[in-house]
Amino acid sequence: MGNLIWHEWARLIALTAGIYAVWSGYFGIFYRKFFWDFVGGTLRDPGGMQAPKSAALFISVIVKIPLLQVFSMLLGATVVALEWPLPILKKLSIYRSLVLRPILLIALSLDTIFFYQGTNASLYAFVAALAYGRAIALGEEMPEAKENRGRAGRA
Amino acid sequence: MSFQEWFKREFMVPRRLVFNVLFYGLHLFFFIYGWHSQATNAKLAGLNTLKFSVWISRGAGLVLAFDGGLILLPMLRNIIKVIRPRLTWAFPADENIWFHRQVAYQMLFWSVVHTTAHYVNFINVERTQIRKETAQDIHYHQPGGITGHFMLLIMVLIYTTAHKKIRNQCFEAFWYTHHLAFFFMLGLFTHATGCFVRDIAEPDYIKTFPFYSTEHCLGYLSWRFIIWPAIIYFGERMYREFRARRATQLSKVIVHPSGAMELRIIKPSFKYTAGQWLFIQVPEVSKFQWHPFTITSAPEDKYVSVHIRQVGDWTHALGDLLGAGPSVVAELTRQAMKGQEKDEKEYGYRGDYLEIDPSTRRLPVVRIDGPYGAPAEDVFNVEVAVLVGAGIGVTPFASILKHIWYRQKRGNLGALSRVEFFWVCRDAPSFGWFQTLLQEVEAAQMDPNFLRINIYLTQKIGEDMLWNIAINDAGAEYDPLTLLRTRTMYGRPDWRTIYTRIRSAIESGQYLPGSKAQLRTTVGTYFCGPSVLGNAVRDAAMLARCSTVDFTFAKEHF
Repeated sequence: MGNLIWHEWARLIALTAGIYAVWSGYFGIFYRKFFWDFVGGTLRDPGGMQAPKSAALFISVIVKIPLLQVFSMLLGATVVALEWPLPILKKLSIYRSLVLRPILLIALSLDTIFFYQGTNASLYAFVAALAYGRAIALGEEMPEAKENRGRAGRA
Repeated sequence: MSFQEWFKREFMVPRRLVFNVLFYGLHLFFFIYGWHSQATNAKLAGLNTLKFSVWISRGAGLVLAFDGGLILLPMLRNIIKVIRPRLTWAFPADENIWFHRQVAYQMLFWSVVHTTAHYVNFINVERTQIRKETAQDIHYHQPGGITGHFMLLIMVLIYTTAHKKIRNQCFEAFWYTHHLAFFFMLGLFTHATGCFVRDIAEPDYIKTFPFYSTEHCLGYLSWRFIIWPAIIYFGERMYREFRARRATQLSKVIVHPSGAMELRIIKPSFKYTAGQWLFIQVPEVSKFQWHPFTITSAPEDKYVSVHIRQVGDWTHALGDLLGAGPSVVAELTRQAMKGQEKDEKEYGYRGDYLEIDPSTRRLPVVRIDGPYGAPAEDVFNVEVAVLVGAGIGVTPFASILKHIWYRQKRGNLGALSRVEFFWVCRDAPSFGWFQTLLQEVEAAQMDPNFLRINIYLTQKIGEDMLWNIAINDAGAEYDPLTLLRTRTMYGRPDWRTIYTRIRSAIESGQYLPGSKAQLRTTVGTYFCGPSVLGNAVRDAAMLARCSTVDFTFAKEHF
């Protein structure tokens, strides 16, 4: 399709996913719920869905301790810091790595898929990872920023 | 931008202040009203046990309905075109895309609020079991949840591809994903069919439209109000399709040395005024895409012409189709350069253009839709017109200058007695075709004082170019860069000085011979280009105002 530079588009989706992940992780700390608890779970009245015993691991890292939620916030913040980018990261050569990004995004996607608030973030992170994958497949690169030789504001 | 500048721009400009108060005030009002009507509705006591989250979600929901009704209004191009001339005082109809974006930003913000609140709502419904269902049921099994999540995904795609950077790279990506708005709107209008807001335990579905009873489903029924812009928009698209299918013929294609293609199209049903633009479609290149271009012919011409530079993939494909591919352009440019170098007598010769006419090559079918945008007719109501085009913003002036020239020939100039044309650009040679046009207009001037062309080149000039100018410029009849009689000036124009000079020249009576000093002269500025420069020009023009000379400013989005 056209002259679309895939990694520039992927960046915008990744930013969306990253911000969404931070926001959903934050709310996930207060309203803890394992998203997939309906698989084999029992509905209690009141109390809501109770996950089956086989999901005990997820219950302990999502409901007992909001580990995945906190991790999602951290990872989401990392993605945002890398994509915005944070001035310190911009100078590093790893900033220009197109392989690092989909790895981070897949990790984010796998993390957020498990808790109730994170599924949209997971979907968007996955879309961003696919777009980065397409960018890599097309051989796109992120060129090093040119040094600003001319002085700004003067013709 | 500092805080002071931001504050000054948003709150100290009366029109902007009114907009801000109305726009954000209405949003806030709908939020509070939505909140209040939910919180105080005795019928919805069950739902109100969810407290803040449901109040917030309902308030934000009403705001989103309002935005959903607004978002298509600025896109009703044909209606805007009709009402614009009558309502310029009330709202800047030219800023329709800007308004569309403001609504979109509000939509994004309130979507976040609405969705967050609903995530809390549904988890609490599940925990308290006020309804016997899980949060996942509401999210993914009921119309409200399904349409909501779909709308969010569509928003991600639409917003990201509409980013300026992406839109410039790949117009198709922007164009196609923006048509997901159709499904977005369907989602918006059916968002409430799940009957989430109800005073009974189970949704009250009925067999007839709208498939839920309004007795127990107590939503805002906002779709009844906000569906109208969508229906009108749909009708407008149908009308555009019909209009575009009326007889259109591509009569001639002219390839200019710089690679710009001039398409001359004959369509008798197409009526326009100078300075407007149109959409063009070439089915053989792409069946669905419509691309906007400025009309470069004057209404007096027997054809409608557009100048298309080969820059994007669509324009390149069009170039190949018309037989104006890279090789043809390269050959033309080479010849032009040769012509420029070898023949001293033919100084001022920019190489020939190539004409592709139907007898030698079958021309493709084209369809045009329009015209749209601001007519520049009010140019003839002022005594002095200052036309300022910056960069690519110069294109509408091709049509306007030609139109002025035609009216000058007919002696039908209205109040207009002088035209100052300013062209500020980084590198003039990239607009070869426009120079050719300017050359024609300049050469046709009988009164040397009527039209003054001022060209400002703002790019950094290399040493080679400097020498070239120094050697060729002195004593030559034509400017070495633009091949106009007018000399190119280098650097940025000093608008304050320019306007002060115009004013003092008018006051002393040299500028407009025969003008009565006691009459008030109006100098109208028409600007097209980036807004930063526009503001500078406007400020300078406003500063030059005095009791005898009035300065007006209009920024056009052609």
